[in-house]
Amino acid sequence: MTITLNRVLRNSLSKKVLTAFSLILAPVFAMAADVVEPPQEFNPSAWDWSTLLTLALMLLVILVIARAFDIGSLTEKISGKRLVSPHKINGWVAIIFLVLGLIGVWYEMVYHGKYVLLNDAASEHGAVYDSMFMWTFGFTFVVFIITEVLLFYFMFRYSYDENRKALYYFHNNKLEVIWTVVPAIVLTFLVLRGFNTWSKITSADNEDAQEIEVFAYQFGWKARYAGADNKFGDNSFTFISGSNPLGLAVEGSVDELSQSLTDEIAGLEALIASADDSAAVWSARLKNFEAQGRQRAYPEEYKKIREMAMDAESGAYVRGLEKEIKRKSTNIKRIAKFRADQNMFNKAAYDDKVVTEIVLVKNQPYVFKFRARDVIHSAYMPEFRAQMNCVPGMSTQFAFTPIKTTDEARAEKGNPEYDYFLYCNKICGAAHYNMKIKITVVENQAQYETWLAQQAPVVAPVEAPAVEADPATDTTSQATPSVALN
Amino acid sequence: MSTAALHAEHEAHHHHKESFISKYVFSMDHKMISKQFLITGIIMGMIGMIMSLLFRLQLAWPDDQFSIIETLLGKWGVDGKLDPNFYMGLVTIHGTIMVFYVLTAGLSGTFSNLLIPLQVGARDMASPFMNMLSYWFFFMSSVVLLISVGVETGPASGGWTVYPPLSALDKAMPGSGLGMTLWLVAIILFIVSSLLGGINYISTVLNQRTKGMSMNRLPLTIWAFFFTAVLGLLSFPVLLGAGLFLIFDRSFGTSFYLSDIYLEGVGALENIGGSPVLYQHLFWFLGHPEVYIILMPALGITSEVISCNARKPIFGYTAMVISLLGIAFLSFIVWGHHMFITGMNPFLGSVFMILTLIIAVPSAVKAFNYITTLWKGNLRFTPAMLFSIGLVSFFISGGLTGIYLGNAALDIQMHDSYFVVAHFHLVMGSAAIFGMFAGIYQWFPRMYGRMMNNTLGYFHFWITFICAYLVFFPMHFMGLAGVPRRYYQFTLVEQFDVWVDVNKLITVAAIVAGAAQLLFLYNFFVSIFRGKKSPQNPWGANTLEWSAPIDVRLHGNWPGDLPTVYRGPYEYSRPDREEDFFPQYVPDESAPEVLEPEKAKSAPAEKEVEEESSVFFAAIKRVFGLG
Repeated sequence: MTITLNRVLRNSLSKKVLTAFSLILAPVFAMAADVVEPPQEFNPSAWDWSTLLTLALMLLVILVIARAFDIGSLTEKISGKRLVSPHKINGWVAIIFLVLGLIGVWYEMVYHGKYVLLNDAASEHGAVYDSMFMWTFGFTFVVFIITEVLLFYFMFRYSYDENRKALYYFHNNKLEVIWTVVPAIVLTFLVLRGFNTWSKITSADNEDAQEIEVFAYQFGWKARYAGADNKFGDNSFTFISGSNPLGLAVEGSVDELSQSLTDEIAGLEALIASADDSAAVWSARLKNFEAQGRQRAYPEEYKKIREMAMDAESGAYVRGLEKEIKRKSTNIKRIAKFRADQNMFNKAAYDDKVVTEIVLVKNQPYVFKFRARDVIHSAYMPEFRAQMNCVPGMSTQFAFTPIKTTDEARAEKGNPEYDYFLYCNKICGAAHYNMKIKITVVENQAQYETWLAQQAPVVAPVEAPAVEADPATDTTSQATPSVALN
Repeated sequence: MSTAALHAEHEAHHHHKESFISKYVFSMDHKMISKQFLITGIIMGMIGMIMSLLFRLQLAWPDDQFSIIETLLGKWGVDGKLDPNFYMGLVTIHGTIMVFYVLTAGLSGTFSNLLIPLQVGARDMASPFMNMLSYWFFFMSSVVLLISVGVETGPASGGWTVYPPLSALDKAMPGSGLGMTLWLVAIILFIVSSLLGGINYISTVLNQRTKGMSMNRLPLTIWAFFFTAVLGLLSFPVLLGAGLFLIFDRSFGTSFYLSDIYLEGVGALENIGGSPVLYQHLFWFLGHPEVYIILMPALGITSEVISCNARKPIFGYTAMVISLLGIAFLSFIVWGHHMFITGMNPFLGSVFMILTLIIAVPSAVKAFNYITTLWKGNLRFTPAMLFSIGLVSFFISGGLTGIYLGNAALDIQMHDSYFVVAHFHLVMGSAAIFGMFAGIYQWFPRMYGRMMNNTLGYFHFWITFICAYLVFFPMHFMGLAGVPRRYYQFTLVEQFDVWVDVNKLITVAAIVAGAAQLLFLYNFFVSIFRGKKSPQNPWGANTLEWSAPIDVRLHGNWPGDLPTVYRGPYEYSRPDREEDFFPQYVPDESAPEVLEPEKAKSAPAEKEVEEESSVFFAAIKRVFGLG
């Protein structure tokens, strides 16, 4: 008796919880519906049917399960014995899930599969890549369907029956050997093919390839073309300054940087000399601030003053300045060392062109040399099936041959605005999501040369040692590399 | 003498000796420690999940404002818009919490602690004191990590892999300041905890097995926990090294990972000669075994739960153990597949590719064996069973995409895209968390002596299962279309516009899945106090833990002598038995030791075991005053 009562109570308890649960969920759906469909005129054609349909399907599934349990517990109460076992219900739900799931997979492949980058590669090795993908997809999809169908079918077929006893079946060596060896053979095939594909892509023939340097920084990209001499000028991170964002070996700009560092050191030394006075000033200000009782009204300001006073008193302020001086003088020393090397400053950098767009010629092999200024970035060119990390202190490269011009891609996609981009694909800071550079593939060499001619060289070709030359005249954005660029 | 009487006697002698602190706080009882791990894990899991919902809101509706974001995050969510820096922080801490705090400590910590002594027939862990330390280091680590979320400059935000130089330079992003320091402190405390636990698990499995419990009679859970502990013991110290180098680079001016860096607003740095790729090698030397540290306990739990609830022996016990061993071994030599496009030598890339794809073979064996265990079984769908089957489903769908990502050539395109997000959330995220749920539903009676509500469990399972697929399945297609992960919003790239609706669907499904966890929380916490009293062996299982009294908490597990083991753990539905199970600890009156002569031979000698356990028991008596 008590057991029955308990069960009834517990059933109503779980029902209460479920009601509360749906009440919690209701605003979620309402919110979703609200944002998906801002209030507007009744216009079913503008509705986002796929989302609504999916939501409806989800609700339906939940309802079906709930009904099934309701019926189960109701009949149990009436007849006093278990008519519908939860095992049978779960078996049925498994089958429903399997069917709906397979429909979902089909739906995804039809409606979202069309956006998948496949068979439309804009680079030569793209076709090899895509065929590797299709082989892998073929095998894995078959295995996926077979195993998942078996799994859920067995859930349905062998759900609990009191009168049945499970098969006492420990192992079957033949079966186990089969499903060790068959996957092994399939994988051997995939490994060999993958190995082949990987070697083909990574050992692309660089003989007549044109080199382009791609330079990554927080948060943007620059590309460098070698210019008329077809030779890149040397570079070093110690040469980087606002006017020389790539740190190229250009005498004028490097000497300027060296000079300004020297000036800055002098300024810092002056600050250290007056540190005692400034400590007194800060602590006086802090006392004054506290005496006036303004801590509460201006917490931010108070915090700043207190920090400054504390730093001044503990010597952290001076230590910070000394560290800065050391860093700057190391930089000067390194510049001086490089500066003595005439091979480095051979003026090869003068005619290099630093640009904010990458222009490629169709069917021309390229080798991209990647460099990073501050943190790791990753140059990701999905349409070209290309990606390589850009690592500070290390040179990486990736070679490919574009085979489809931007115009052709536009025609194919039916979108006149379509462009290729190189995205950053390694977490690099707050503006990571907006770090990209446009890639344009043109039909022939002439178009490329026209474009290149419009780009200004690093040092304007005036026949004089470029003392006065401003190395960055081509784009205004170069002076402020901190802004995310398009 | 009956269990209850024995217990009463025991109680009368020793009850007064346990204070609240020694019983519930600084407890050395493995069962209490496992509960501490579980509840801390659940709390951390909820926090990690809420974080994921917050950044999912941002991804689905980047142009909308949500007052809840401002309420929760204050200055990071001004006007209900999530700050990009804090978005990165949320992504990072979500990953860290889920990988380390929930699925390593919460899963392995809980069930290794609960099941190893109980299933091998030991009074407690080899070193209960170290076990206690392990939990409290974990607790401190959790506290430090949560504090780091609240610091002024924000939590660590370089992704859960915290690659330098981004994580090494506090000027590179705000999160790399104090937040990152606290992250490193938390992880080092975590490593200490994990090592203390791992040593204990290994020595307990090897030394404390009861009479008759030979290695080939161990339940697969124990095998999985054992391999997991070995993996942790060998790989976590490497992360410790990587973390220490990073601390040196950050605070003491060394250049392990730094070279040739110019930082905007600072200038050229002094560091030269280091290599950021070195960090990646060290990190992934832990990072890849870590994936299996997460997954293997879940697989072990699944083996046990599926066999028990299918009322059928697990298919291919030996193959299951060998495949676990194979996975464990291979997991150490495949870390490079996370680094195919870091500029590593292409030849090295192909070596790592071959080794990586070999892992698919033992994994396939496991999946097929699970399915064959279901075949012609008598499947009893308890929530635990459902979650285990859910795990197998995720393990298959997520594992198959590993064949794409392990292929160096295909990885060129898929690396760091949403395809990766889908892959690991299915195969190690969802699968492992389902293993954890299966374990909780299965062993809740063992932990609390009460049952959880099945109906709520069914709803919990189906809603979570369907939503997990709705969340992660579409992500494959996003990834294949070239959508990068860890983007704060996609609206600035026209090509990604088609995914706006999908992102909304994913977020709604994630919110529903999150809400379903409320059912679980309710069920869990209410059942602790109000649940139906559990019978001694509620699931009709064979393993030893159900022979120890579950209605009382006994430090030492068994009131009298330790049980003796007579056979393997998976003797379900034996044709010669009336009942459909035959526990390991029940002697066979008709024909003892005949059915499995092979196994009986390898059982340890009687005398040796007696001695071991009595010495150990004496130690326990001394420490706890139980004697």
